[in-house]
Amino acid sequence: MPDFSTFRLILEGLLTGLSVTVIVALAALVIGLVLGFGLCLLREFTRIRTVHFTIDAYVELLRNIPALTHLFILYFGLASLGLRLSSITAAIVGLGLIGAAVTCDIFRAGFRSLPKGQIEAALAVGLRPGQTIVSILTPQAMRIALPGLSNYAVQLVKDTSVVSAIAAPEIMFFARSMVTSSFQTTLIYATAAGLYLLLSLPLMQGVRVLENHYGKLKA
Amino acid sequence: MTGFLQPYVEYGSEWWPLLAEAMLNTALLTIAGFALSVVFGLALLLCQTSSSKALRGFATVYVTTLRGVPLLAILFLLYFGLPGVGITFDALTAAVLGLSLCFAAQVSELFRAGLKAIPKGQREAAMAVGFTPVQSFTFIILPQVVRVILSPMIVTFVSLLKDSSLASLITVNELVLTGRAMATEYFLPLQIYVAVGLCYFMIGWPFSILSRRLAAPAAR
Repeated sequence: MPDFSTFRLILEGLLTGLSVTVIVALAALVIGLVLGFGLCLLREFTRIRTVHFTIDAYVELLRNIPALTHLFILYFGLASLGLRLSSITAAIVGLGLIGAAVTCDIFRAGFRSLPKGQIEAALAVGLRPGQTIVSILTPQAMRIALPGLSNYAVQLVKDTSVVSAIAAPEIMFFARSMVTSSFQTTLIYATAAGLYLLLSLPLMQGVRVLENHYGKLKA
Repeated sequence: MTGFLQPYVEYGSEWWPLLAEAMLNTALLTIAGFALSVVFGLALLLCQTSSSKALRGFATVYVTTLRGVPLLAILFLLYFGLPGVGITFDALTAAVLGLSLCFAAQVSELFRAGLKAIPKGQREAAMAVGFTPVQSFTFIILPQVVRVILSPMIVTFVSLLKDSSLASLITVNELVLTGRAMATEYFLPLQIYVAVGLCYFMIGWPFSILSRRLAAPAAR
């Protein structure tokens, strides 16, 4: 039976990866939100067919292919073209690009649920189309998109574990490398699982609060 | 661009049979995982709706835990971790079990939301015209629940399909692992991983379209 000092050693080892997990999750979240919102605006408020088609194709391709495959294409595939990304860069770019496809859909659902009268009224009182989008539609759409976005954030934290497959030194990566040097596999993976749970529980609680709050607003 | 496509012309006839077999394995893994997660999900739902406090508590803890822990951690725990305490699975069993344990939590939440969406009057009316509780559930409630949750269920199915790729990391011979083996053999990782991605797309995209079609009338 492993004693407490073994457990402490394992925990310390795993915590070395915590910063990379957090950095990858945060950076991917920012890319996902900004790019996703941009794509959503282009998709909803332009009338150019090619733009619509390109964005739709982007969203479908990124949402129907596993993150692991995208990461392998970015990390191993691009290297064969001479474009070598570091594993952390590949992880951030990969998860960020996938996130953009996810949040684009969430934002679009937010804009779609607004009544047409909002645009008409804003234009009628003399706001320019740009002002209408920025100050009238976006704040309302954000409010509707918020629960979906926070759900995505929870999912993202868990998905960072996948980037250990391209050797990005996050929690799961250290778990895997510790297993090869010690034989406490059960304890190591259970501790890693617990660590992720500690990261996602507060986020999940946040999702619930947001859902309750905005659910009530709707009703 | 022609340089990128050249290997497909050259090796396409060698690659396709390998990828087709791997696609079949991925499909089987996904279907087995999904079927089992529906079974586990229904069992969880029974726990959640039971009158026993212990069972309800278990279901809540289970759903929260399994939704908060990444699938990869569960897979590693099952495949590499449990042998440490004397429980050994082969890779495929561990993958199916891990996928279904994780997705059972999502499936049970879907069922619960579906049941909530059916007005109480439906059951009362069924009982009033003389249906037994079992009959009213089977013929009145269940068909309506299925109608409500069909589209999100298909979305869950596609997520499970994507997550089945993680089974490659515990040595299940599905699409990604086949791709890795091919990439080392042919030294063409870009072309091969793109092909692997398109294989997933070919399986998953029709389901994504289907789920959107089914969701559209319900939203109106």
